[in-house]
Amino acid sequence: MTMARATTSTRRWMQGASTPLRGALLGLALERPGHGGDLASRLVARLGDTWRIDTNDVYRLLDQLVADGLLDAHEEPRRENRRRTRMVYRPTDQAESAMTAWMETLLPREPVRLGLHAKLAVARDQDAPRLLVALLEYERECLRLAQLVAPESGTQQRSWAALVMDCTRDAVWGQLQTDIDWAARTRRRINERMPVQSR
Amino acid sequence: MTPLLSFANVGKRFPDGGREITVLDGVSFEVQRGTFVGLYGGRRTGKSTLLRLAAGIEAPDTGTVRFQGRALIEMTGAQRVRLLRGALAFMACGDWRPNLGESVVDHVAMSLGSDGLTVRDARRRALGALDLVGLSATSGSEPADSLSLSERTLVMLARALVREPGLLLVDEPAVMPNLGDRGRFYRLLRELASERAMGLLVVSEEIGALQGADVLMSISDGSLCSTEEQGTVVPLPRRAPSPAAARSERPGR
Repeated sequence: MTMARATTSTRRWMQGASTPLRGALLGLALERPGHGGDLASRLVARLGDTWRIDTNDVYRLLDQLVADGLLDAHEEPRRENRRRTRMVYRPTDQAESAMTAWMETLLPREPVRLGLHAKLAVARDQDAPRLLVALLEYERECLRLAQLVAPESGTQQRSWAALVMDCTRDAVWGQLQTDIDWAARTRRRINERMPVQSR
Repeated sequence: MTPLLSFANVGKRFPDGGREITVLDGVSFEVQRGTFVGLYGGRRTGKSTLLRLAAGIEAPDTGTVRFQGRALIEMTGAQRVRLLRGALAFMACGDWRPNLGESVVDHVAMSLGSDGLTVRDARRRALGALDLVGLSATSGSEPADSLSLSERTLVMLARALVREPGLLLVDEPAVMPNLGDRGRFYRLLRELASERAMGLLVVSEEIGALQGADVLMSISDGSLCSTEEQGTVVPLPRRAPSPAAARSERPGR
């Protein structure tokens, strides 16, 4: 069974906050078609645990790519039990050019919307101790996320796949490092203003 | 189990003009055998001071630093030197000081000191350590001052490992200019620590240099934040209130 396929321009699908994930899924399907679970696990392996990808979201995003005419979804028999089927996603003829268009497009910078920013923006004097605790916990969370990033392989021969994986890791570490520095700096600023007796 | 290294409520201050600055304040953590602990911090946050305290090169003003359960402060200077030449290795990656004209293998062998080894035995062990970090016997005969920055770092690691330490302290491994060399060096550190069941404490300004750490900590304002809840004290720096802050706290304002 083939799901309905909508024709689309190569750029129209690049709308909405989930575009990076849909783009990554399209890239993975172009590398090798797969069923939802396979694509989801490859996505997590490629982007890392810090993206906190929900498998249910992956199925929704795959459906969007099918609706956009970039993937075809076919029911195919399972390898381990031929009587049972599962949906396998394959790139359509438009997928390759859509992927190229995505690579060429500068996506808008995602808004910086850290929950702590909002708290800071409206914090009252008496909230300072609570903010210090929240900032410290945020710093700890950043350290934990940094631990989740798989280390580089460090092998002598660098394949293209290894290079782009290392660059992805580097982006995550860079962001977490910046956040840790910001949390520490903000704690210091609040501490410098806080009288000793209220800490 | 007694940890290899433990800091208990450690504080350190340094004079700064007419006053004192607190570099470390109530710092507590442990490094167990076979564990990799990474400490991230910006410049002048006290991470190198923490490492020198761990090596017994400096003494804390408050609290206790222990190696295998024994307080470093209770050791004599000679005992601490012996410790640094044996069970504990300190590697400051920016600190490269070979003797003039010394070969690589002799530079590594020299760190073995006069532990009853013949020169031949010391060189043999040095070559083994160089091999361990991926440097060939050929590069062992080269003058130490002719090496690239990446090779120097590897030789420093060989120099640290040749004494078969139980704990390796590494100050700023992110000195290599080539990113590929860095990645390989980080992997080598992790693998060697794991294979030898060594404790590993690495401090760096780059969190990527601490990849694969079992425990990750950050340091700022003299205090630690850690992925480990247990055993970590995160005190808020205690300073006298500024006059403006004190005024704003007066009743009725």
